[in-house]
This record gives sequence, structure tokens and C-alpha cells, in this order.
Amino acid sequence: MQNTAKPSWLKPALLAKVFGIAFFVYLFFGFMLLPCLNTLTSIFRQTDASGNADPLAVIRFFFAGNMPRFVWNSLKLALFLVVTVNVVGVSIVLLTEYFDIKGAKILRLGYMTTLIYSGVALVTGYQFLYDNDGILTTMMLTYFPNLDPNWFSGFNAVLFTMTFACTSNHALFLRNAIRGIDYNTVEAARNLGAKPLRALWKVVFPTLIPTMFSLTVMTFITGLCAMSAPTLLGYDSINPEIVRLAGSSVADESFPQARAALLSIILALFTIVLLTVLSAYERKGHYLSVSKTKARLVKQKIDNPVANVLAHIYAYVLFIVYMTPVVMIVVFAFQNYPAIRMKTLDFSNWTLLNFFGQEDYSYMTSRGSYRTREGAISGLFSNDATLGGIRTSFLLSAAAAAIACVIVVVACNYIFRNRGKKRSVALEYSLLFPWLLPTILICYSYRTYFNSNDVWYVLGNNLYFMDNVRILIIIAYTVVKLPFALRMIKASFYAIDEELEDAARNLGASQLRTFLRVKLPIILPSVLAVFALNFNALFTEYDMGATFASSYGVTYAMVIQSMCLDEGLYGFNVNASGRRCASTVFIMLVSGLILYLVYGVGARDLGDRLALRDRRRKRWQRLTGKLKE
Amino acid sequence: MIELHDIVVKFGEFTALNNINVHVKEGEFFTFLGPSGCGKTTTLRTITGFIRPESGIVSMRGRDITRVPIEERSIGIVFQSYALFPSMTVRDNIAFGLKIKKLKRPEIERKVNAIAQKVELSQEQLGKAVSQLSGGQQQRVAIARALVTEPAVICMDEPLSNLDAKLRVQLRNELKKMQKDFGITTIYVTHDQEEALTLSDRIAVFNNGYIEQTGTPNEVYNHSATEFVCNFIGDINRLESGIVAELIARGVPIASEDHHFLRLERLRLNQPPMDGELVLDGVIESREYYGLYIKYYLRAGAQVLKAIEKNDGVNIYEPGQSVKLGILAKDLMSYAPQA
Repeated sequence: MQNTAKPSWLKPALLAKVFGIAFFVYLFFGFMLLPCLNTLTSIFRQTDASGNADPLAVIRFFFAGNMPRFVWNSLKLALFLVVTVNVVGVSIVLLTEYFDIKGAKILRLGYMTTLIYSGVALVTGYQFLYDNDGILTTMMLTYFPNLDPNWFSGFNAVLFTMTFACTSNHALFLRNAIRGIDYNTVEAARNLGAKPLRALWKVVFPTLIPTMFSLTVMTFITGLCAMSAPTLLGYDSINPEIVRLAGSSVADESFPQARAALLSIILALFTIVLLTVLSAYERKGHYLSVSKTKARLVKQKIDNPVANVLAHIYAYVLFIVYMTPVVMIVVFAFQNYPAIRMKTLDFSNWTLLNFFGQEDYSYMTSRGSYRTREGAISGLFSNDATLGGIRTSFLLSAAAAAIACVIVVVACNYIFRNRGKKRSVALEYSLLFPWLLPTILICYSYRTYFNSNDVWYVLGNNLYFMDNVRILIIIAYTVVKLPFALRMIKASFYAIDEELEDAARNLGASQLRTFLRVKLPIILPSVLAVFALNFNALFTEYDMGATFASSYGVTYAMVIQSMCLDEGLYGFNVNASGRRCASTVFIMLVSGLILYLVYGVGARDLGDRLALRDRRRKRWQRLTGKLKE
Repeated sequence: MIELHDIVVKFGEFTALNNINVHVKEGEFFTFLGPSGCGKTTTLRTITGFIRPESGIVSMRGRDITRVPIEERSIGIVFQSYALFPSMTVRDNIAFGLKIKKLKRPEIERKVNAIAQKVELSQEQLGKAVSQLSGGQQQRVAIARALVTEPAVICMDEPLSNLDAKLRVQLRNELKKMQKDFGITTIYVTHDQEEALTLSDRIAVFNNGYIEQTGTPNEVYNHSATEFVCNFIGDINRLESGIVAELIARGVPIASEDHHFLRLERLRLNQPPMDGELVLDGVIESREYYGLYIKYYLRAGAQVLKAIEKNDGVNIYEPGQSVKLGILAKDLMSYAPQA
């Protein structure tokens, strides 16, 4: 029924449509479906010693060998994390948003540090403090001599680290959910005789259940797919084993690649089941506030003095746990090499050497003589390997984040204009497909499938060969980030008033002009936010870099990991701890800057920007006026 | 000027417009009035070209424009949300259509400044973002943007519906003044009967995809063509069988099986009786105070009737007070019941 009058540029539009369909079909089949199907089928393509096909060999091996241990370990970690992350996550939100705790603003800042301090940087930071010669372990040993110096290793260390690393989603989404509660409902419950805790349990919690459920599922998947913490802290879970097997050869052990494939498929099955459960739950609907005039939540005083004191103690203990690594890492980033090596603070000697510059390093050889390595103590930006990692990660992340945004913006424009039609639903699901698959499955599939000259649709190029691996990493980064980009950008497209498009058409604008001049400027802040958030995540990304494990694609996170290796022995890896601290500070600065640009600057609309410009102009006029006087 | 001939619009199996015929005259302020989902916006979108009818013809000044693309119809639109581009300044919003027409920059400047002056937008406001303007100012920008390309007709789709009551009344007056000043043919969509009655030269009342009546505000209000129009426009009393029987007994030529209605202001309270008037005894049940007038609920036999009286501050009846109710035959509106 809509007007379908043929525009004059029908032919270019048709070409663009054909090209678009071809591109998305190529993307979906070539870089999502086929590599993963290859991984799946590789499990059943094994042969026995006499060369006969033995499709069930890997399955038999799985049950006969120690592989279930990795699955069980991952499940154990995921189950424990669900409990610990929810306990800590709900606590930090209630303590800062629901209960009246003194200093809540400062506490909130501390609890939200994981937004800028996460991933491999956080794990190495915790290691720096808590491992057997870590600052805090050493300090604690002086007070508790019976403490096991290796307490921070294996399952305990992973659980401890990930518990605090994974509360970022609670800090964002649960906080928003609790802020969305209509305070009148709490007042009504109190008025009807409910005590504060009963009101919390009976009125507040039920409205948080949908968010809690989503967070629980996401935490479970995070635990199941954990990579950097188990790898760096030594815990035998699925992902590190997949990476190990992927790099192994048949000369060392039985069909390692097929076993890696089986583990990644198991991971995928868990993820698919969990996301299906989540999706089914979300479709059931939630408790929605029917209030037309929502009252803002007023913080609840804890009337019982003992409970109040205990709540304050709990809040500040959590704050110390969150803040100690951050503060220590920042402080040590400005300490000199001997202070960092000895893990003792030297307040008389501050330096920027961990960031810039070089110093000579003298050490005693095994023969007892002293040798000097010129410039071996180097800072973050004067160490070639570190700088190379930063440069590689910067370029790969920026390219992938930008490509993901372009693909999704084009796709969303099509989906928006053809909403409700089967072809737009198909396009949307194809772009959401990577969400069903663990990152490691995609990367492992790429690594094995494209490590060949037989893939015709990439013109027979081996994408895992030498420099080509960078292209492969960019494709993997892009594909993995498509679902997130789609969810975010699609939401901003649907927020566009449909009448704007009608108005532009009425005023004579073509579809392209309407998109470029009307729709794109509206969605641009969201697109830039998605770009920045994806870039942020990819810049310090560890899982994919580790899975590809190529010397042609050594990413920043891999460099940081290498900084955890033995340090200083015979002049090897000198000042790695200093650079590690400086790296963490650098990552926090980059992440903080990006979050500021996204949520601070990017959130301003044209009116805010013009008003700000106006204020600045007036301030400047006042200033120059005063100077003239 | 604009004519719709036998327009039929279907959405799948659902018939949204059923043989719509409208003739809007040059310079006229013509309103499509009706409840939600009656087809008024669909008719407007058919005129503007966003919807192509299943059958029928849309013509403008005698030219068939049914298949003419939206941008070539010379119809300006003021949308319900105003649809101002948030990423552009007020000046850029107004100039958008002129830029597409590839006018030269000085020409664009001149036209934008001229229209801004006419709709009383200052140079300072032209440099602002639309989000920095008030609702009234945004409406002026929307009108300026629709008018600057000098369309033959301007269509407005409930442009006052998002505003608060006081501003709505204020802008309604400004809108009428602007339309008269520009002398442009205007087609206006609203579900607000008061808005339609105060603004329009003529009104088409829609119901379920049909036009029930087209006429001046007075015709539509005082001589409603159908029972639906009579009920939809303004508040009304439907007389029940008891009162109808008394009227018939007094010789009033009405059919007992018909539905009979009486406007609230036509029910006479404690007035000197007139020739042929049916006078009933009533008791005030309750009252609603509106300031300018007072609305009374009165019991007369088995029926509760509504009446309004000008609030003179003196003759205000109390609940429980007895009054005389007068009904004149000429004030009745009668309709045969529909199957």
C-alpha cells in the first residue's frame, strides 16, 4: 500500500541491493557458518592407526581421558561465580543505591573501577599484589606467618579475581533497574506494615528478578568461557585447554585439534542452551511499573544500630578490596625498578621511567662477574615489544570496531526500513548468530579453517600465514562484536521518530540523503559509543589474541601476559613489572577517556553543544572585556 | 482545489477508507474530525502521497496526483510530533527543503529570513537547536519549514495534541491567524471537537473509514446529519421513552421508534414557558462547577438529564432543589435507529 513510485536512481539502488545481499550472504556463510561447521565435523573425521575412518574416536577419548575434568572445572567455576558475583554485585548496588550508607558516592566510584580496570590488566594487577611474592601476600605473611604463600593460585585465585572483575554489569544494569523502581511502592509496603527488609524482599527484589536472571546467565557464561584468569592464574578450565591443544601437534598427543574442536563445541552447546533459556524467560514478560508518576527512590536508613555498623563495615571492606589493587598499581607505576622488584614503596623516589625513557641494567652473571645491558630497563613507550603490542592492538581494534559499526549501520537501516519482513528478520538473526558461539570457537575455527590454501572464497589465501593473520584477527574481532553493535545501534534506529523520515521525503530528500542528513546524525552518538566501547574491549582483549597465538599478531594483552614471565633473570624481561603497572595505568586512562567521551561528550545533543558554545563565548567575552579594562 | 473521488484504502483485509469523497476549496481551513482509528490520518496520508489508494482518485486543481511522488505534490506537512530534525539548527530545518530544490545560498537565506519573520521567529532563535525551543516555538518552526517551499496546500496532523491545555488554546488562535494571513489552503486532522469547531471553515466527520457528514461547524453541531455525529460533537442528552411519549402526547411530530437527542444548553431550567414547550418537574441531583458555566444532573421521572447554565453567580441551584425543565420541539435532533 505504501508509495512505491519508481525513483530515477532505480538501477544504482538495485545494484546496491544485490551487492548488499551478496555481502551479507558472504559474511554469514563464509565467516560464521562454514568455519564453525568445519570445526564441528572435524570431530568426526578422525582415522584409526590403520587409516580407517573412526568417527567416534574423539568422543571415546573424551570419556576415557581427563577431558571431562576441564568441563567440570569450567562448570564449577561458573557455578561458584554465579553465587559470589551475585552476592558481591547485589551488595554493592544495595549499599550504594538502596541503603543509606555514609560516603556512598565514594564507595560507588570504588565499586565501578572495574569498568576501566578489567580483563588481563586486572588479572595481572591482582597477581602483582597477591601471588606468592606479591606485595599484599608478603605483607600478610609478616602478620600471619602460617598463611600459605601460594594461596592465590588455581581455583581460589580465579574465583577471587573474577568475583570482583565480573560485577561491572551489576554496577551498570542492576543499578539502573533499582533506580527505576517507583518509591511509592516501597512507601505503600511500609504503610501497610512491612519492615524495611520485608519491603526490600517482597517489593523491590521481585522487580529486579528479570535483570538478576539476565546477569546470572551472563555471569555463568563468563565463568564457563573464562580465559585470561585461568590461564594466568593456573586453573585447568576449557578455554586455556583449547588454546593449548590448538597449538599442540599429533606428534605430542592424540588428535589435539579434534579435541579442541570438541571442547569448543561443548562450550557452544552450553552457551546456546543458556541463551535460549534467557531468551524464553525474557519473552515471558516482566513486572512492569504501572505508575504514571514515578517517585524517585529514597535511600533507606538501617534503623538497627548494630546492623547499620555491620553494613558500613561490609561496604568499606568491599571498597578496600576493589580499590587496593588500583591504588597499589597506580602508586607502583611511578616507583623505580628496585622498589618494584623488592615490592616495597620508596616514597622518596618517584619516576616516570615505567612510562618513558630507559636505564642501563647491571646484573651478576653465573661466573660472578657483573655485566651491564644498556637501556634494558625500559618504559612502556620506549620498549619496542610493548609499543609494538600497543600499535598492533590499536590498529586491529580500531579497524574492527569501525568495520563492525559500518556493517551494522547499513544492516540496521535495511532492517528498519523493512521491519516485519522475513528478509530483515533473516539479516538480523544472521548478525546475532555469533552471540550463540563462544569467542574461542569462532577464533579456533578461523585458525584451523583458514590455515589452508584451499578456501576458494578468500581466493585461496592462507589467512593464518604470516601477516595475513592480522586480517584474520580483524575479521574475528569484527564478527565477534557484530551482535553487541546490532543490539545497541538497532535500538537507536528504533528510537528515531518515523515522522522524521516522512518529513524528509515530503521535502524532497532521497533515501540516501534522508539517511545521511537526518537519520545518521541522530544515531551517530550511539554509533560512536558502540565504536568506542568495542574498541575499548578489543584493545585489551586477551582471549582471541591468545587463541590465534601468532607472532605476526601479538596484541597488547599478549604483551602484558609476557610481562608476567620470569623477570630480570640474566637480563631477561627486565622491568616487566614496572611496565605492567604502567600498562594498567595507561589502560585505565584510555578506558576512562573513552567512557567520558561516550557518556559525557557523546551524550550531548545539538542543543547542549550550542548552549555550551554559547556559555564559552560569553565567558570569553567577559574575560577579554576584563582584560581590556 | 483538492478532491478525493471514491477513495478506498485497504491494509491487508482491513478496509481503512471506504469510498471517501472530499472537496476542499481554495484557501479553506478544512478539518478531518473523528475518533482514533476512524481513517482521518489515513486520508491525510493518501492526500500527501505516503499511502497509495486501492482505488479512487486524488486530484489537485483538476490534476490527477494519485500517482505523483510525495515530493512533487506541492503539499507541506506539519506532523503530529513536528518531526523537526534534531541534529540541525532551526535555520537548517527551515532551509532543508530549499537546499534539496538546489536554490542558491542567498535565495535560501532570503526565503528563510522572510518566513521566519512571518511566523515570528527571531534571528537568535534561528541559530538555536530545536531542542532549545518551547513547544510553541517548535510549532512555528514546523509551520515555517512546511511553508517555505511555497506549497499549494498545507496538511497538519494533530499538531496540538502533544501540548498542555493552556498552550493548546493559545496556539490554536495563532494557527488560525497564521492561516488567514498566509491564505493557504489547510487540511487539518484532529480528534478534538472543540479544536475542529473553533478553527475550521468546514469539517468532515469520520467514522470507521466513512465520512458521516461534511459541513460548517454550525451545520455539524446544530444539524448533525447522523446519530454518530450528534453524539460525537459536544455533550448531549438522549431522551428515553417516558419523555418521548410525553412529547408525542403533546402533539410533537416525532416517531417513537426513533432516537431523540437534546443538547445540554437547549434544556431550559426555570424559564417562562413558551408555546408548545414540554415542561417537566425535575430535581437537581448533583452539579459540576466549570467556572464559566455550571453543569447540572437532573432527575426527571425515570431519566437523568444534563443541563448547563451560565454561571452568573446568583442563580445557582443546590442538589435536591426542584426545578422546571423545558423542552422545545425545534431543539430536538431525531434519527432513525440503524440496523
